[in-house]
Amino acid sequence: MIRSLFYSLTFHSVMILLTILSLPFMLREPIELPPIVSVELIQISDKTSIPFAPKARKIIEETKKKEQERLVSEQAPPAAKAKEKPDRIPLPNEKKEEKKIVKKKQNPEEIKPEIRQSSEFEKKEIVDTSQIAALIDKAKEEEAVKQKKTSKITQSNQKNSFATSLTLSEEDALRAQIFGCWSVPLGLPYDEDLLVRIKLNLKKDGTIMKSEILDHQRMNRPGQKFYKVLAESALRAVRLCQPLKVPPTGYDKWKEIQLNFNPTEMLKG
Amino acid sequence: MIFNKNLKNVLLVIFTTLLLSACSTAKKAGTGGDDAYTGKETVKYLASGVPDRVFFATNKSSLTTAARATLRKQSTFLRKNKKLNVTIEGHADERGTREYNLALGERRANAARDYLMTYGISGKRISVISYGKEKPINASSTPLAWSQNRRSVTVKVN
Amino acid sequence: MKKFILIILFNLFLINKSYSLIEVDITRGNLDPLPIAVSPLHVDIKSEEHKNIKIKELGNNISEIIEKNFKSTGLFNPLKKEAFVQKPDIAHLKPRFEDWRLIKAQALVTGKIFIKDEKLKVEFRLWDLAAAKEMTALAFTTTPSNWRRVAHIISDKIYERLTGEEGYFDTRIIYVAESGPKNERVKKLAIMDQDGAKTKYLTLGNELVLTPRFNPTNQMVTYMSYFRNMPRVYLLDIETGTQEVVGNFPGMTFAPRFSPDGKKIIMSFAKDGNSDIFTMNLETRVVERITDHSSIDTSPSFSPDGKFIAFNSDRSGLQQIYVMRSDGSGVKRITFGNGIYGTPVWSPRGDLIAFTKMRKGKFYIGVMRTDGSGERLLTENFYQEAPSWSPNGRVIVFYRETKAGLKGEGFTAKLWSIDITGYNERQLETKTDASDPSWSSLLSK
Repeated sequence: MIRSLFYSLTFHSVMILLTILSLPFMLREPIELPPIVSVELIQISDKTSIPFAPKARKIIEETKKKEQERLVSEQAPPAAKAKEKPDRIPLPNEKKEEKKIVKKKQNPEEIKPEIRQSSEFEKKEIVDTSQIAALIDKAKEEEAVKQKKTSKITQSNQKNSFATSLTLSEEDALRAQIFGCWSVPLGLPYDEDLLVRIKLNLKKDGTIMKSEILDHQRMNRPGQKFYKVLAESALRAVRLCQPLKVPPTGYDKWKEIQLNFNPTEMLKG
Repeated sequence: MIFNKNLKNVLLVIFTTLLLSACSTAKKAGTGGDDAYTGKETVKYLASGVPDRVFFATNKSSLTTAARATLRKQSTFLRKNKKLNVTIEGHADERGTREYNLALGERRANAARDYLMTYGISGKRISVISYGKEKPINASSTPLAWSQNRRSVTVKVN
Repeated sequence: MKKFILIILFNLFLINKSYSLIEVDITRGNLDPLPIAVSPLHVDIKSEEHKNIKIKELGNNISEIIEKNFKSTGLFNPLKKEAFVQKPDIAHLKPRFEDWRLIKAQALVTGKIFIKDEKLKVEFRLWDLAAAKEMTALAFTTTPSNWRRVAHIISDKIYERLTGEEGYFDTRIIYVAESGPKNERVKKLAIMDQDGAKTKYLTLGNELVLTPRFNPTNQMVTYMSYFRNMPRVYLLDIETGTQEVVGNFPGMTFAPRFSPDGKKIIMSFAKDGNSDIFTMNLETRVVERITDHSSIDTSPSFSPDGKFIAFNSDRSGLQQIYVMRSDGSGVKRITFGNGIYGTPVWSPRGDLIAFTKMRKGKFYIGVMRTDGSGERLLTENFYQEAPSWSPNGRVIVFYRETKAGLKGEGFTAKLWSIDITGYNERQLETKTDASDPSWSSLLSK
């Protein structure tokens, strides 16, 4: 009886002693480890110049041709799908946002799933519509649908139709090259519109045949002296950077290119 | 009996906890407050037992208790020597902008002068000049030096 | 059938349209200084010799001043002369643009000097090497002894052409030259060209002098002096050397500045422990009280249009910056951040106020908008204060003091400058230690 009492007391005292000793440590806040950001290294160009794209383009052109020749149209539900197709295709629009994401060095992983998804979706879609197209034959609906379709195609073709933009890495290469050549004049006002648009006609080797500042009347307006200086700096950058880093193929799509210089972001930093 | 012992232990734990947590709080740095110099170095004497200067806290021109005691001694001395005129020099430490320090020095000199006047010394006997941070008595850049430089010095004129 | 053809045509049209203009956004360039080649100016053979002027070296001297000016801005990178590809005389007539581009220059400066009949004529050309054409060409005529100013004016013209901003090279800086042990400093008023040349002392150093300022319109200077142990504001004529006390104040006056039209002096007057701001009209000698508060009001600064005054006051307990109308009405506090603010100085462009900030034992030079928003600290140091603006409102000059050892040793005071973007912090050359700098307006105006 006494023994057990003795054991009990010793055990309890030891526990309490330990508590006393460890209490101050327990009062301290646990160190918070920052959440681990997983980064996967991927080759951007592999993902952005979508391997399916040329194939898709071919297939779409084929379907267009087929529709013209065979007056093929789709019933309402498939038409709905078909309408979606052109919307899905302009990955460049998504790409555009993704480009910005990449620029800000966010998780590249985010790009992958989107691209994959759309490519897979695309694949399925293309197969479906061509199958359906072969089946149906209605003139009136066909006109309406086609017009809607074609208008959808034009919408997507506006700025960067998937078939006519530069890939992410091509754009980056060009931007990086011009970054090296463009000495931004520092005396620029913080609160004015600083966009300088320069249209270039290029030769196949990247040299400039013709350059044009799109807002050149603004250069001589009173109170816009800074704009003249800014435009001249942009023009100088482009001239000094010759030959520009242009893609090795697809001359037709980039023989005429417009560069939008805008240092506002830089000045605010 | 076990219950009692446990109670004691629990109280012991609570007491130790409170003690230890009290020890772990960091001391907050003082903000200005009362860092007026209280030592005797750099102090000269108008007469035996009459210090010639009073010291101020950072950015302040209010008189500390010690300052008032010194000034009372000065006023007594001045009352005894009715023909004596003085100039009070106001100074500031180097930890401030030059122009503001000129104004602060002038305020400190006047704080001393006003106090002497309340003890019956005529204002006509006391002139005032500010040197801002231009004439430090201690040229080093330590808080001690700065506290020694924040001063109003009474100087005999005749 | 018709509809069908229309649709085909519509489609074909659209297919062509699908090759639309590619647009690439360029939002970043580099902040590297612009590589510029300044060729030594060519001296015309028909030039006459002039006393004291080594005419053969003049071409080099002028181009060296231009190079030094450009380098000091941090915006230009003058290239080394050893790499130059053409002789000065030929380059001035017809530069071989491709050759100059090879040395990576983007702009080229060439010029010619001609001295005849006691007159110096300098012409210069600025070339855009990328566009292969002339950007600017100007000529100046002056007395030969003024050759330094010509170099500065040329620098201003080129700076303006390449940045869109007015230059600031044809200016002077007035400051207090200091020497001696820290607790017994000898102080003299000094002026120099902004590049450190032609230093001239205006007082002898027998009494303390502080916080000098230039009159924006003429050759007068105002400052505070302890002459005869009476701290007062004085006016000094640089050309004649005559000095006079400003006003007849029965107490210390200090912190003087000129109004933007040069007709008034604004300053603080201290009496009975209180400092208020007053102005005095230099023609009529009429004195006007601007602030009337029991706190310390000092360091006043006019806006460039003369309508407002920024000043330093401790009416809220500690030093803060306030703005009021030039008649003293409408007093508004504009600083509310953590810390103490002093020495507000209104930019000549009217858009910013520079200031000194003190917080946790450190001193900062910063700028803010005139309503107190957008505070940006440009530099931090153990001790620095008293910013002053270049006339184009892009560069700020101020002074720094170093920590002194236990016996006051190691104490120095030097002038520094920094661009308002926070770049290009550099020390200014002065013959002695220096403090309280003030930048003049462009001399050529």
